[in-house]
Amino acid sequence: MAMVVLRLPPDTQLVGLARLVVITAARDAGLDDERIEDLRLAVSEAITNAMLAHSRNGCHEPISLSVEDLRSADGTGDAFAVTVQDEGPGFDPEACAAREREWSEENGLGLTLIKGLADHAEFVREGGMRVQLRFDLPAAV
Amino acid sequence: MELTLDHRIEGEKTVLEVGGEVDVYTAPKLRERLVELVGEGHHDLIVDMTKVEFLDSTGLGVLVGGLKRVRAHDGSLALVCSQERILKIFRITGLTKVFPIYDTLDEALQGQA
Repeated sequence: MAMVVLRLPPDTQLVGLARLVVITAARDAGLDDERIEDLRLAVSEAITNAMLAHSRNGCHEPISLSVEDLRSADGTGDAFAVTVQDEGPGFDPEACAAREREWSEENGLGLTLIKGLADHAEFVREGGMRVQLRFDLPAAV
Repeated sequence: MELTLDHRIEGEKTVLEVGGEVDVYTAPKLRERLVELVGEGHHDLIVDMTKVEFLDSTGLGVLVGGLKRVRAHDGSLALVCSQERILKIFRITGLTKVFPIYDTLDEALQGQA
């Protein structure tokens, strides 16, 4: 069940606010401090990508941010998930990752960071781009 | 948190002290300051990131851009950073091979790893 759902106007000033909302929810879900730092950056990268996709395409529609605790009812662990859905044209994550290896100011390193920080990252081109990041949660005691 | 930028001359090097959050919203201010400094002839830079609370890929891109600018003048750009959460970002992206990174400003000024 979604803990938090935000619809963010494509304004980069709001990325910091979105980070705060997500890390507060992650703390409540029991993610430890080190993983929260990983989450903070990975989510920031996903939202930034979405906002830039909207900006490049003149799209003023909001970006959807959904935060979920996917722990099973019997407490056998699972994940804290954050999904970012944009209305941009989408992108090919493999092609973007290849460009990122060139280390230029223009080619960001966001996908490299997302993949390096999240326990699982899924990129789906569907009505824009949907990026879901999962961070494993400790099993409930 | 606001981005703070202060620079000073230390011998032959220019130290740019960065503090706060460097993200897609604030990174343009960092880029602008680096461009200004290089334009004013500061080609040997040390970016002191000791007070950086958050750094994203936009900030990394700006630092890579700064490095390219100083190298075009046979200059250098070194970083001061000892925070594990920031160092991790440089490791994941492979940028530890691109930037000299020092634990302290003194080490960076002496050019000692």
